[in-house]
Amino acid sequence: MQEFLQLVVSGLATGGIFASLALALVLIYNAMGLVNFAQGEMAMLATFIAFTLINRGVNYWIALPLTLVIAFGGGIAIQRIVIRPVERAPLLTLVIITLGLATLLNGLAGAIFGYVPRSFPSPFSVQTVDIFGAYASYRDLGVIAVSGVVLLAIYLLLQRTTVGLTMRAAAHHAEASRLLGVRVSWMLALGWGLASAVGAVSGIMVAPIILLEPNMMQTIIIYAFAAAVLGGIESPLGAVIGGFIVGVTVNLAGTYLPFVGGDLQLAVALAIIIGVLILKPNGLLGRPSVRRV
Amino acid sequence: MAALLELEDVRAGYGPTSVLHGISLEVKDGEIVSLLGANGAGKTTTLRAITGGVRWTGDIRFNGKSLKRMHTEDVVRHGIAHVPEGRGILTELTVEENLKLGSHLRRDGAQVGKDYDRVFEYFPVLKDRRRLSASTLSGGEQQMLALARAFLMKPRLMLLDEPSLGLAPLVVRAIFEIIKTINESDQVAVLLVEQNARLALDMSSKAYVLEVGRLAITGSSAELKGNDAVRRSYLGY
Amino acid sequence: MAHRLRTLPPRYWLVLVVVLFLIGLPSVIDSFQSGEWAQALVLAIAIMGLNILVGYSGQLSLGHGAFMALGAYISAILATRYKMDYLVTVPIAGLLTGLIGFLFGVPALRLSALYLALATFALAVVAPSLIKRPAGLTGGVQGIVLLPPVPPQPLSDAYAFLTGTAMTSDQWTYYVTLAWGLVLFWLAWNLLRHRAGRAMRAIRDGEVAAAASGINLAGYKTLAFGISAFYAGIAGSLFGLAAGFVSPDSFPVALSIQLLVGAVVGGLASIPGPLIGGIFAYFLPIESNQWVPTQTWIPVQIATTIEKAGPAVTYGAVLILIMIFAPNGIVGLVGGAYARLRGRVRGAPDRDTGQMPQDTQTV
Repeated sequence: MQEFLQLVVSGLATGGIFASLALALVLIYNAMGLVNFAQGEMAMLATFIAFTLINRGVNYWIALPLTLVIAFGGGIAIQRIVIRPVERAPLLTLVIITLGLATLLNGLAGAIFGYVPRSFPSPFSVQTVDIFGAYASYRDLGVIAVSGVVLLAIYLLLQRTTVGLTMRAAAHHAEASRLLGVRVSWMLALGWGLASAVGAVSGIMVAPIILLEPNMMQTIIIYAFAAAVLGGIESPLGAVIGGFIVGVTVNLAGTYLPFVGGDLQLAVALAIIIGVLILKPNGLLGRPSVRRV
Repeated sequence: MAALLELEDVRAGYGPTSVLHGISLEVKDGEIVSLLGANGAGKTTTLRAITGGVRWTGDIRFNGKSLKRMHTEDVVRHGIAHVPEGRGILTELTVEENLKLGSHLRRDGAQVGKDYDRVFEYFPVLKDRRRLSASTLSGGEQQMLALARAFLMKPRLMLLDEPSLGLAPLVVRAIFEIIKTINESDQVAVLLVEQNARLALDMSSKAYVLEVGRLAITGSSAELKGNDAVRRSYLGY
Repeated sequence: MAHRLRTLPPRYWLVLVVVLFLIGLPSVIDSFQSGEWAQALVLAIAIMGLNILVGYSGQLSLGHGAFMALGAYISAILATRYKMDYLVTVPIAGLLTGLIGFLFGVPALRLSALYLALATFALAVVAPSLIKRPAGLTGGVQGIVLLPPVPPQPLSDAYAFLTGTAMTSDQWTYYVTLAWGLVLFWLAWNLLRHRAGRAMRAIRDGEVAAAASGINLAGYKTLAFGISAFYAGIAGSLFGLAAGFVSPDSFPVALSIQLLVGAVVGGLASIPGPLIGGIFAYFLPIESNQWVPTQTWIPVQIATTIEKAGPAVTYGAVLILIMIFAPNGIVGLVGGAYARLRGRVRGAPDRDTGQMPQDTQTV
């Protein structure tokens, strides 16, 4: 029982990481019907920026929000420079462009920072605290807390502010929103900025666990895909719930299913993706959408 | 005195197909003008040209300012509210959120509150259902929502595309009553596209009749109503 | 007969020239380079398969590296464990992989293009770890080492007669790969020019319309999957031949991206595109590493960045730029320029250069 609780708690921690990246994916999907294959690499780059700031002596709790702001700006820049010229292109073209972007950013990170894995500082100690007889590390609890705060902030922004309202309007009903004076193109850019910032949180939270290097997000994004697909790719709430479910499931599977072990946890994510797409393609919270011809 | 809205020899189309072949019309401040004609005559395209939804040549001036090459969202911000075919309801959002999108650009907070009160007075159903998804509204209720939202934009001109389409006569009458009220009390000009010519002529002071992308007839509503020949050949009744 | 020869469209002559060039190539380059060209041809074959899937039937697969791995491992296992002649294992690997691809195509039908891309991408990322698991069969992390192929004596003698030196293992590999490449190219050409090709293009350009005109959507889409997996399987098997070993790390997700880059650069939905794509995909990283530092007009910082980053930066940038400016790839650019030229000279209509599909917005 103890072990189970421990696995659940650390599963929730990794789940928070998956949830953040999945939320970023969903934000962009809602805005453009596009899965941004570069989301992980964008997060990785942001994490490197945070690393650089911290190395120069900036306090972690200042570097974190500062990086989010930079990531936000970066997301907007990418949308304006790379995506907007081809806004009206077929979906497949856009997907390939995001793949190109992912490759480019990966190479850029490798060129600037090198491929040697580095340790990334965490403000939370790895010491454990006793919860109901199980041991949970401060770090895991910290990750859960930070992820939770960020996800809540995004929720409040989208649901309770005018800006969030116009973003949602632009995402779902571009033409009708224009007729209401909404600057749809800028809302799209804002969506990318927000997604980039949320993704950055994911990267910064995971770096202390798996070591910082250019390829670190390649597996995380698969988990995020699983989370987004499980939750329903149109639903921000679904992405968050999906993230936590995937986190806990993968953790439990790794320990309790001997044939999975540590090295096939990623295959569990693949199984989730394939299973959901075949059995319930709209995910838990998604709604069946009409195929527009 | 220049009219509020002036169209001068406007040609518009979709890709290689030309729909409007040189339309000129005007709407004065506070006036209600009907734009009539059969299906495919170009009425909807005319409205879309005004708010930048389709490419056009010629000139369109609002309040003296040319709308050439302006993006839709900027045209609208100049004071034109366009309720399109299909009403343009944002079905992913709630009724309240739809209304909020009508007023989100305004800075006059106190007046906005009063306008909301009026909206709920005109359309009580919107107040009852305001937290529900807009997709749960019936056709007539969605039309009410679209109209309320347009009113909240505090426009100087409203473009209404077939507000009576698909609605029961009682509902249509109620809606048209309110359009008239808004026009009279707030000096909001209206360019009304309608297939139901009788209804439109009853409300408007002037009418233009389109036929295959060209202006066939224009005159005061009284004239057109009174002319049997015109009524039968152009207006269908 | 002579009349027919004279009226053959220019592209037939172009094909002949290219084929002759490729046949004669090993005699003018050294043996190691022949081995490199063999690897480029391997990529070209895989890209041919990917092209059929993406360019012609509009299904985006990002997991073709995994199919290559499957073909490679089937060949390697048959050759080492069951002592089969490697050359015999190539078609077997291809057919088996093709069958599995066909089976893959069935559930893939239910996925929109976006979801298919997502699922195959995930597959590509997971593939190496799936390979490592059954270590008894696959050799685990170390993979399987293959003996270098020996050219058959009569061929080697003939080659020595023509060129003065005996045929090396690398050259033999090159010719095997070339032979398969030519066969598969001919196969693709015939397939795509006729009914199957038209059907697939109709599907790519609008599924609903295609289905409405009576095209068997499910049949053609799964067929496309199967065929393209067959190509990838052959490519994978030949890869083992050319590289001399197979290991999980030979098939990372970057390989699938590399194939996609090659397909796009060459020109999707074009038949000659894959050859250009394969050459580009294989030689670009090598050339950029060797050639760039020697160019004095490139600022030092950019040169070192390109060198350190390896091919990724270039691939990524190329992919983005091509999709923005030349979505029909090199073949599209050349074909378009050629058609415009011809049009100006003769007033003839444009050829179909193949376009990226108009996709339906689906979940």
